[in-house]
Amino acid sequence: MTLTSDPTTAGATTAAETVPVPAAPSYHTLNAMLNLYDAEGRIQLDADREAARQYFLQHVNPRTRQFTDLRERLDHLVDNGYYEREVLDRYRYEFVRDLTDRAHGAGFRFPTFLGAFKYYTSYALKSFDGTEYLERFEDRVVMTALTLATGDEALATGIVDEMVAGRFQPATPTFLNAGKASRGELVSCFLLRIEDDMESIGRSINSALQLSKRGGGVALLLSNIREYGAPIKRIENQSSGVIPVMKLLEDSFSYANQLGARQGAGAVYLSAHHPDILRFLDTKRENADEKIRIKTLSLGVVVPDITFELARKNEPMHLFSPYDVERVYGVPFGDVAVTEKYAEMVADERIRKTTINAREFFQTLAELQFESGYPYVVFEDTVNRANPIAGRINMSNLCSEILQVNTPSTLAEDLSYAEVGKDISCNLGSLNIALAMDGGDLGHTVETAVRALTAVSVASDIGSVPSIAHGNARSHAIGLGQMNLHGYLARERVHYGSAEGIDFTDIYFYTVLYHALRASNLLAIETGEKFEGFERSTYADGSFFAQYTDAPWLPKTERVAELFANAGIAVPDQEDWRRLRASVVQHGIFNQNLQAVPPTGSISYINNSTSSIHPIASKIEIRKEGKLGRVYYPAPFMTNDNLEYYADAYEIGPDKIIDTYAAATRHVDQGLSLTLFFKDTATTRDINRAQISAWRKGIKTIYYVRIRQMALEGTEVQGCVSCML
Amino acid sequence: MEKLKLIDRVNAINWNRVTDDKDLEVWNRLTSNFWLPEKVPLSNDVQSWGRLTPLERQLTMRVFTGLTLLDTIQGTVGAVSLIPDAITPHEEAVYTNIAFMESVHARSYSSIFSTLASTREIDEAFAWSEQNEALQRKASIVLEYYHGDDPLKRKVASTLLESFLFYSGFYLPMHFSSRAQLTNTADLVRLIIRDEAVHGYYIGYKFQRGLERVSQAKRDEIKDYAFTLLYEMYENEMEYTADLYDGVGLTDDVQKFLHYNANKAMMNLGYEGLFPSDVTDVNPAILSALSPNADENHDFFSGSGSSYVIGKAVQTEDEDWEF
Repeated sequence: MTLTSDPTTAGATTAAETVPVPAAPSYHTLNAMLNLYDAEGRIQLDADREAARQYFLQHVNPRTRQFTDLRERLDHLVDNGYYEREVLDRYRYEFVRDLTDRAHGAGFRFPTFLGAFKYYTSYALKSFDGTEYLERFEDRVVMTALTLATGDEALATGIVDEMVAGRFQPATPTFLNAGKASRGELVSCFLLRIEDDMESIGRSINSALQLSKRGGGVALLLSNIREYGAPIKRIENQSSGVIPVMKLLEDSFSYANQLGARQGAGAVYLSAHHPDILRFLDTKRENADEKIRIKTLSLGVVVPDITFELARKNEPMHLFSPYDVERVYGVPFGDVAVTEKYAEMVADERIRKTTINAREFFQTLAELQFESGYPYVVFEDTVNRANPIAGRINMSNLCSEILQVNTPSTLAEDLSYAEVGKDISCNLGSLNIALAMDGGDLGHTVETAVRALTAVSVASDIGSVPSIAHGNARSHAIGLGQMNLHGYLARERVHYGSAEGIDFTDIYFYTVLYHALRASNLLAIETGEKFEGFERSTYADGSFFAQYTDAPWLPKTERVAELFANAGIAVPDQEDWRRLRASVVQHGIFNQNLQAVPPTGSISYINNSTSSIHPIASKIEIRKEGKLGRVYYPAPFMTNDNLEYYADAYEIGPDKIIDTYAAATRHVDQGLSLTLFFKDTATTRDINRAQISAWRKGIKTIYYVRIRQMALEGTEVQGCVSCML
Repeated sequence: MEKLKLIDRVNAINWNRVTDDKDLEVWNRLTSNFWLPEKVPLSNDVQSWGRLTPLERQLTMRVFTGLTLLDTIQGTVGAVSLIPDAITPHEEAVYTNIAFMESVHARSYSSIFSTLASTREIDEAFAWSEQNEALQRKASIVLEYYHGDDPLKRKVASTLLESFLFYSGFYLPMHFSSRAQLTNTADLVRLIIRDEAVHGYYIGYKFQRGLERVSQAKRDEIKDYAFTLLYEMYENEMEYTADLYDGVGLTDDVQKFLHYNANKAMMNLGYEGLFPSDVTDVNPAILSALSPNADENHDFFSGSGSSYVIGKAVQTEDEDWEF
């Protein structure tokens, strides 16, 4: 019997013939009641709280190992190979004891069943035989803090306070793995280039396996790979293009998983002007042949401004042979700014090209997004214009929020590195906006989070993929994210996407940026180190700060001014920015990248947040995950009296989501995972319009497109919360 | 099987002259819901399958062979036998779609089998399905009415099949999915349920339209017939359920679920429900898991769920590109 199975099912295992009916309703039953209205038509929020309680009574408590005291517990866990001894050896026992008491004394409770269920199913340390839980939530928090602070008692205390209060939550790989002896990496996310040669393709498959094994998602850039029918060793019609590479990668990801804790997952990005683009997209067609069908690999398309321009003029869109482009320009296709070189490449006879209709291309994108939710879209020129770092961004990651520069590697025949380029990794963690505001010291919260994330970067050294290790050592990029925007706004009785809602988003992200830069500047001062290439960034010449120092940046609505004033959180003024600019120009900053807003799946359930800065998908969300099955999650802070503020993403529609994201995007150096939500009455044209609008408003990337199809009238389950519009 | 009636004259189907809007509505829904089993990453359930007990595995195989049998009937005989009775040409078109999707469903169970189970297990389950009396009786009851000569009775049998008889089988994947087992299989079954819900609803609707055209005496006869057939099927279904689920102690729960669906089937036919609410209180975990709406939230670590549909392609116009 394993801990993931339900006691009622477990009963069937041992005594199949005489299964007793449990006296109290099972927690799954109670949780499912959330999705059904009670006799008075009210959402049964109490049933979910009872489900959480029953989950502890029926399942967690009987399976949690008891120790007489902390000393015995730690000795047991270290001696039996559960905890890393080195983590604890950096601290005095008394400190660890006090810190543990501090965490347990903070009064943490899981407010929802899904939060508790998710934590115990996916994060808590379990005995090797899988029968006992060895950690409560607070214990995991303490171990995470001790690991990240590497002996710094003040920092460890700071991290515990922020985490146990729910203000800061590291991403899954960090929170899941920190301090465990058998574990994956602490980093979430990797981005790799593939160059146009067999060594690079072979190495990338090895990297995909190695990185999946260690946790986190991997994205790979396919734009450089020569197209279908391109010559090999100058013999024409030899190459099979990008599709077979995608198949190899897909199989690699399904093979590797992190001790069964998390399935490997991967994404591939391709330039819109790569000749294989339509074949690439068609792999996601509902009726695609099995040989080319891509099921679990995520797709992303890199779209430059010129593509929109061509569509506007309704002109044909040229696709360029990466093989020829690399020969003409001496750099891989992915490193060529297509918008800038477009006319030149069209005129260059040495470059083979084909044409497709630009508008039809966008329509195909939309059709595929309807059918499969893919591809993600990266607005390449927007991204590069907003990038303060020298170099070029040509791809994103599995959640389309990481946007960093990279450089190619050169491999020898035996796949060793002749020249180690820079590939990208990013570790993430998110603030709970509501609780960070309630905490009253946003500056301190942000600083602690930046220090915690930086600690992960400093501790990480991915030896199996030298280009990742190389990139990380030189950039120390982190991604501070945000979640629970909708929960916060609804609690404060502000509608998502209203003038106040957008104003709040603007001022909040503005304030977070200030403190994130301040913290990274402090780190640079303390360590005397700055990221490689700082001198060539717009931070170094101070030009980055112009938009903040030249004119005041204030709340535009009274309500938002009031929210910040009531929380006791000061909004930085021009003078603050000038001081910060002076210090940054003088001392630099430690992290090449600071912010990235991920979609926050699992951690937002544990943290009782709405995901990311999206609107809720539903008042009662149906969550389906491999390890969880179908579970129901109520929107945070929702009661039967404030339902009007919990309009869901499909009702809110793409425009307000785009405006909200646009407000945040200005203050975020990397990207934000933006999902567009449509009702099934939408057409591909509606999706295209939303894409155009997002691009025009300065959105950097689009993550999923989601379509909600309601049950045909007459076929729905009666009295079901998520079935109602 | 008797020969289908040949149509004397063929009229080209004109979708611009739709006499019953429901035909178009359902056609659009069914086509946008088109899917193939290859869409669902069933192989992600292999580990979960390995963690089921032998008894649970056997049960699962039997449930799915039972469902395969029903879908085979519905795809090859049932939906096809409704075509000659169609009142509008568009109704015929909808039935052909239904027939095709039923074959897709039957094919899907094989995908589940071949992904999860060994050939020996598969053969055993099929052998069981040929020998289980209740299952065979269920098939013969339905086949008998499909071969009968009354179009209304055929529709009753078909609606009961779509809305009632499938559900003793559907219960199991829903039960598993609420316990984090075989979740991708459950996704696939949910796609099937999504289709069957529409099929049962549509055939029931056409039944009611047909009923409007006959005399009161005939209506009484049909109603009497519907309830008699339901009883007959119900008795048999109770036995079938017990055969399947007694071993894992879920029979009571499944039977409540059957009451609930029997009521839904009767409502699809325009009749009142047969079972009072105290025997239809289905386990909320199952009821919630059933919800056919595409509102699941999932990410790249999950399967693609039942959320995506084939969209309506509309070209962009110049005005969309004014920027």
